[in-house]
Amino acid sequence: MENSMYQVYEDEIQLLEEEIKMLAEKYEDSQQESTFFSDEEILMSIKSFQGEFQRELKGHESPSDLKAQLESLETDLSFLMKFTGIWFTSHSKKTVEKTGSRTIQKHRLSGNCHSLPFQLEFQLLEIKNKESVSAVITDLNIIMESGEYSGVSKFVSSTEEHGNLLAFFRSLSSYAEWYEHRRCTFLHFK
Amino acid sequence: GVLSHLEMLEAQAHELALKQEETEQQEEKLDRLKARVQELRLQRDELRAKVDLQQKRLLGKEGVVTSGVPGAAQPSDRAILEWKVKSVQAMLQVFYLTGISGKLTKHGVCFCISTAYEGTYLDSYHLDLITKPEVQIRRHSVPVFIPLEQLAKKYLQTDIRRFLSALSDHLNAYAGRRYQADQLQERFSDRLEGTLQRNSLCNMLVFNYNMSGKKQTFPFSAKLLYGDLCRSLPTEAIVSCTPGAPASLAERTAAHSDVFRRLALHKAFESFSSPEESLD
Repeated sequence: MENSMYQVYEDEIQLLEEEIKMLAEKYEDSQQESTFFSDEEILMSIKSFQGEFQRELKGHESPSDLKAQLESLETDLSFLMKFTGIWFTSHSKKTVEKTGSRTIQKHRLSGNCHSLPFQLEFQLLEIKNKESVSAVITDLNIIMESGEYSGVSKFVSSTEEHGNLLAFFRSLSSYAEWYEHRRCTFLHFK
Repeated sequence: GVLSHLEMLEAQAHELALKQEETEQQEEKLDRLKARVQELRLQRDELRAKVDLQQKRLLGKEGVVTSGVPGAAQPSDRAILEWKVKSVQAMLQVFYLTGISGKLTKHGVCFCISTAYEGTYLDSYHLDLITKPEVQIRRHSVPVFIPLEQLAKKYLQTDIRRFLSALSDHLNAYAGRRYQADQLQERFSDRLEGTLQRNSLCNMLVFNYNMSGKKQTFPFSAKLLYGDLCRSLPTEAIVSCTPGAPASLAERTAAHSDVFRRLALHKAFESFSSPEESLD
């Protein structure tokens, strides 16, 4: 009888705790969208960050370290994109499950390989054990225009079936280069 | 009389005191619960505001940067930068999944070739290259039985991409062959006689097997040869049956040879345990 008095509050507490958990997860997940901050915002931050905190010498990374780290990472990324011909235009990931050493994240990725656009999503299961992390792809979905070549759609569906993301990119890379070469050759002869 | 009346009064007073204590405790607990609810409501409201601001930003609504949403602080410059670092790191991790990733170094570039069999990622291999005055391999973790020198001689100077592509083909095929042999050993050890024999390149496998576990004899003998080092399926599958085995088994060797050439090793064994096969 007295318990019902508490019950109302206890119920609300439980509801609030659940809502908070859900909101926190949503916030985290949305933060993972790669287009979250525009490039101008980032440039502005870099400039003002360096000026304002020049004198800050506390425990965390000094501003020049953070800026240098960002520059080095961006140089690596743009080198890779130029070298492989694979340009990612957007990327987002969302944690679907996280228990102990197992994490499942859903990734959405879109980009171009030379001039061929692609879009894909997949789930990545990672299991941490003592020395390493194992990674397995499941639920791979690829959207790609097959154009005039039926070979493309066949190979897309076979890599999808086996979750063979790596093979997809390797083959896409060769195919796109060949396609590009062919296109240039035709233009040359026009 | 008086004594019993006094006793009664005492008992009543005692009871009242207990009741009072109980009520006080109940009130305290109620107060605590109320306070907790307030605390959580506040936390929830702050989070809601944060998420709303975030969602508005994601949808590209104008004027978000300057609007004053109470309680939701504008992210600091440091936070924006840290976010950007994480975002680029995530993109670089995706490159790992594509099979070729790497980073620039003082003297050139260090490539990382990852391998996978279907959706399972396996070992990755590093190749540290000097790019000036000419392209040279400084260090690498490619196993010695992979024809790295040959590929380098053929492609490294003229077409690094082609070199990496060819190397990736060799490494992925090797990783795939090894994975299949490991899977067979792990999942079907009851159908193998002892361990299967293999060379380091995993392009030759020899084993004796039966088609279903718990049997005492291993009537079949297989020798798989992978003639194409860029493929993970054998080019030749020589299957024989021990002499004296029943004809029903001996007849199957041709079918088995065919299965080994068409299906991955562990999938071939999976097909052996399907109902039509368990006739022996």
